[in-house]
Amino acid sequence: MLVRARDEREGQALAGVASRTTGGQPQRRAGRLAGLVTWSVLIPFLLFCLLFELLPVMITIQGSLTNGGTTGLSLASYQRLFGQASNLRAFQNSIALSLVTALIGGLVGAVAAYGLASLRQGWLRNLLVSFCSIAANFAGVPLAFAFIATLGVTGFVTVALRTWLHLDLYSLGFSIYQFWGLVLVYVYFQLPLMVLVTLPALNGLRPEWREAAVNLGASPAGYWWRVALPILFPSLVAGTMLLFANAFGAFATAYALAQGNINLVPILIDFLVNGNVTVDFGLGDALAVGMIVVLLAVVALYTTMLRRASRWLGR
Amino acid sequence: MRQTVSHWRGLLATRLALGLVLLYLLIPLGATLAFGLSGGHGWRGDLSALSAVFGDPDFWLTLLTSLGLAAGTTLLVLLLLTPTAYQVRLRLPQGRGLLETLALLPFAVPPIVLGTGLLQEYNGTAANSPLVVLLSLGLVPLLSNVFPLLDIPLLLVCSYVIVALPFAYRAIDNSLRAVDVKVLTEAAASLGAGWWQTLLQVILPNIWPGVLTAALLTFSTVMGELTLASLFNTYTFPIYLNMTGQNDPHRAALLAVLSFLLTLFCVLGIVPGSRLHAGAGRAALPGQIEGAGLR
Repeated sequence: MLVRARDEREGQALAGVASRTTGGQPQRRAGRLAGLVTWSVLIPFLLFCLLFELLPVMITIQGSLTNGGTTGLSLASYQRLFGQASNLRAFQNSIALSLVTALIGGLVGAVAAYGLASLRQGWLRNLLVSFCSIAANFAGVPLAFAFIATLGVTGFVTVALRTWLHLDLYSLGFSIYQFWGLVLVYVYFQLPLMVLVTLPALNGLRPEWREAAVNLGASPAGYWWRVALPILFPSLVAGTMLLFANAFGAFATAYALAQGNINLVPILIDFLVNGNVTVDFGLGDALAVGMIVVLLAVVALYTTMLRRASRWLGR
Repeated sequence: MRQTVSHWRGLLATRLALGLVLLYLLIPLGATLAFGLSGGHGWRGDLSALSAVFGDPDFWLTLLTSLGLAAGTTLLVLLLLTPTAYQVRLRLPQGRGLLETLALLPFAVPPIVLGTGLLQEYNGTAANSPLVVLLSLGLVPLLSNVFPLLDIPLLLVCSYVIVALPFAYRAIDNSLRAVDVKVLTEAAASLGAGWWQTLLQVILPNIWPGVLTAALLTFSTVMGELTLASLFNTYTFPIYLNMTGQNDPHRAALLAVLSFLLTLFCVLGIVPGSRLHAGAGRAALPGQIEGAGLR
């Protein structure tokens, strides 16, 4: 109701009806019409989002509840999801991979971002920010191949370590194609992303706050512990959540690296709906809904933290 | 005195972390270049490996396909987003929440999930289910007939628009926030400009850095996207890269370096325009300049 009232006011302003005293029937209708005109600019975008963003999600949910459209309303897909240990294992792997890389990327990235923010040379800071933007965008298939070339069985660094330091990574049990190898690859795009999302928050720390804290007798550690970290905390958590979502939905990097030989949820979904042999949309939909549920929780935490961060760092 | 020492120690530690991160980012790049040029028979030091890459007709075919897809997606993103974001800033503050939600949702719906849904929506039985027909105002059955008929992978472009939505919207909306849209529009209106003329000749030049950022991030995302292209069976550059890499890791390494250079050009286009100049002075919230990319 309130929305519509405001709508009309906006509409009247649009139609150039300045007098608010003569709010008769024709004017109100003209206002409502103008309000429609105001909203009509949004129609293409909203329709597009309905067709290519909302409906696919809805159909996935529907498919998970009808076993991929083959049955009536049933929980068969979810029963199959929870009935097979490999499916649960995939969720376990995906969550562990995302959590580990988000925490490593979040912690190291935040410290590195502070190092970057405290650089005095402006040109160097700008250069490094650009480099981080490139590295954060360098992901997927090329990144996987870069790491195979670096740390694969015959990779450059693997061979160099073996030749010069007599350190054979692969006989020590390391493999770029397994969990910890994947962690190394994911951290490559997580680190620069964390640097980029943390920098604005660090720049938002006002020098006055430190001066005030020092004047009141705080040590540098005290300033960090009592003032800076509490202000930065929501931003850091939000950044880490972003990294988690980033890793959790990642498909191309893991696919190019292990060619489906690692059990992650996105890989499993691809195998089910893009397989050469059989296609199983029922289970694929149920797994997809599982991903959406996990990610919705992450995104909810992300937005909550952003809102909290804006209390001190907002404009 | 003790405070200064511990201050310097702290600074040293953060510099060290920064250095280590940079090393971590640089080593794979150098190693990949060396590995690619070594061609599997020791260091050759010539560029014959590179000429083998450029001699492959599939390289050019897929590169052109991806460039076309990227250009189409970028155009569609800008056409859909700029007028919408402008109108919401100008006259529909109550529409902001809706727009923000729609722009945030792709975070919770990764490409593999989106693709699974789209496959069923336009190619499966779902296309003709009454609920879908009703909710899409009858458009889904209509479109599912159009999509396979068209030669260009239109559905792929449409799904890329959704993937690019979060950061493209952020970039455009941030630059709209930085200018006073209301004053500019009123000034333009007092000089007799219409809605479209105002948008194109007054607003657009003022928000150009944000639009450019959105365009280049979208472009670079599409150039590297594998998931949806693989689901929709389109032979794009990343698919070619993946297939080549399985047979010849040295060639794959060279192609990875080329991809890096492509990303470099896209990002270099963004940096002078917006990031450093607009973002240097004022505080912003995390998530406003995040890189895009498809992992």
